[in-house]
Amino acid sequence: MKGVTRRRFLRSSSVGLGLGLAGGLAGCAASMKGDFAPKSGRRVVVIGGGWGGATAARYVRMADPSIEVYLIEPNKEFVSCPFSNLVLSGLRTIESLTQPYDGLRRRGVKFIHESVTAIEPDTRRVRVGEGYLAYDRLVVSPGIDFQWEQIEGLPAAKDSVLHAWKAGPQTVELARQIQAMPDGGNFVLTVPPVAYRCPPGPYERICQVAWYLKANKPKSKVIVLDANQNIVSKTALFRAAWQAYPNIDYRASNKVTGIDTSTREVRTDFDKVKYDVLNLIPPQRAGAIAVQADLAGADKRWCEVDHVTYESVKQKGIHVVGDATIGLPVPKSGNVANNMGKAAALSIVSLLNGQAVPIMPPGNTCYSWVSDREAIAVVNAYKIENGKVVQIEQKLTPAQSASVAQRAEGWRQSIWADMLS
Amino acid sequence: MTTTRSYSSTRLGALVPAAARPPLISKILISLAIAALALIAALGAAEAAGPLDDPAFAKVITCGACHGVNGNSKSDMQPIIAGLDAAYFKRQIENYATGKRPSPEMEPYAKQVQFLGVEWISGFFAAQKREPTPLRAQPEAVARGRTVAAQCVICHGESGRGDAARLIPGLAGQPPGYLAQQMVLFKADTRDPGDPLLAAKKALMRTIPDGQFPDLAAYYSSLR
Repeated sequence: MKGVTRRRFLRSSSVGLGLGLAGGLAGCAASMKGDFAPKSGRRVVVIGGGWGGATAARYVRMADPSIEVYLIEPNKEFVSCPFSNLVLSGLRTIESLTQPYDGLRRRGVKFIHESVTAIEPDTRRVRVGEGYLAYDRLVVSPGIDFQWEQIEGLPAAKDSVLHAWKAGPQTVELARQIQAMPDGGNFVLTVPPVAYRCPPGPYERICQVAWYLKANKPKSKVIVLDANQNIVSKTALFRAAWQAYPNIDYRASNKVTGIDTSTREVRTDFDKVKYDVLNLIPPQRAGAIAVQADLAGADKRWCEVDHVTYESVKQKGIHVVGDATIGLPVPKSGNVANNMGKAAALSIVSLLNGQAVPIMPPGNTCYSWVSDREAIAVVNAYKIENGKVVQIEQKLTPAQSASVAQRAEGWRQSIWADMLS
Repeated sequence: MTTTRSYSSTRLGALVPAAARPPLISKILISLAIAALALIAALGAAEAAGPLDDPAFAKVITCGACHGVNGNSKSDMQPIIAGLDAAYFKRQIENYATGKRPSPEMEPYAKQVQFLGVEWISGFFAAQKREPTPLRAQPEAVARGRTVAAQCVICHGESGRGDAARLIPGLAGQPPGYLAQQMVLFKADTRDPGDPLLAAKKALMRTIPDGQFPDLAAYYSSLR
């Protein structure tokens, strides 16, 4: 309530006489000095240019071009996590998954390639570098960060132990290490406990690395240490796909508890496992800025949101989308983030225009490549009942096929355009 | 459109370089021009309908991830649904939802379309201008496909536009990958199996060798 009062005060000051304005804002002189892009009309600021944030920025501009949109994203280009497991098997290049933000610029989205250092909900500003940017509504799409401290020895080794769970340089480096591994070497992949980004992602990665090793290093093994009791997603389809890869050694309920890079070993509760190449995917939480801005719950992991508008239940005027959210019966997938970005954008446009917010339930189409030419899929459709997202149905492809892989390729093209064009 | 979007004269005034300092008469003329521009902008903004003024726009946002903005898919496997006849659209949603037209992707989404209102959504896509696929087929494949297509014109028409009255869809400009896959499904009787209205079509498809489907698809995707 304090924030509302202060906002009201600021608003009335700014339309007041010059004398009152100067007097009223004297106390804020330092922060006003840092207002590097003074707001002249209605403005939406988006933090994060991934699947959720890029989509949100695009759809605000599509639905109402009179609203100014700033997108704050440190990376100059978009790199797709979906399809990045194919970089590890050498079937795609990281360049083929990298897209410019030019399409969004053409729609009038203004970019700041920096990191947000703080969010100030009371004054509706975000801090970037030494300055501030004011907003009417804020979209926070921060993705995930890692809970390094959950694994003994990892905080000290986090710069050399690869997660490759954010597509980019780590993906390329992991592919290089796999290629350089001697035949007979062990590739060890660890799966974090749910909830984590992209539930089927580790299992698709296992397929891709196993496919590559089977063809190129037949004496090598893929050892999987899964913190979960079973394959988390598309279970039967992955089990069927793994029939083709006898080089997979899958160990369920094997949670990694520690790492020693000097002896090249990871520890579980039961034993120690030697690796030649390690891909340790750590436990996860919402991107740091969301936790820092008190958008996450008591466990400081994920952000609870309204199921219709994606407004944070903790901070008014801030909408959280994508993998950082919790509480909806949806997976942390790119397609869901894309849907959340749209729904948040259209909710914001409706609210800023004094219109009723439409009901926009999400959907999830999720493909996994199980070889160089075949894929599987899971599809979830949802409705909204009494203000809550409820699943209508989940459907899986009956089997893996090249036809599903072709549709995966089509989906990739379409949804990239839906975010970035 | 109940919302007013303000284009204040100060905002437009900012377009005039302050350093120019023109003489008084010019100042007056510029002020008048600014006032006129502001009026035009305000009228334009008031009249221009935003996408959200159509309630269906918010109902179709999920579709766009695969079928493209306004249903104009640019990919090879996802069909263009912009400009699709509403009755045909509704029939397909019904068939997907019941599993008569089996599709792991579309069965859940068809149920979502029914939840949101198939009338709204079919009407929205029917009203969108269709943009043919940007994918270019090999001219040789198109030429071969044209010969094979001689048997298809009775139903789909000389220009591949179909016949809405008989729920026969237009094939012109659809992505070739999608068309070829549907031919396979018809031939195998896995799309709408046992549907008597499709029996003759499927009998015809069985006379066409699989190897000719990509040519046929190339031909229809090339039509405008």
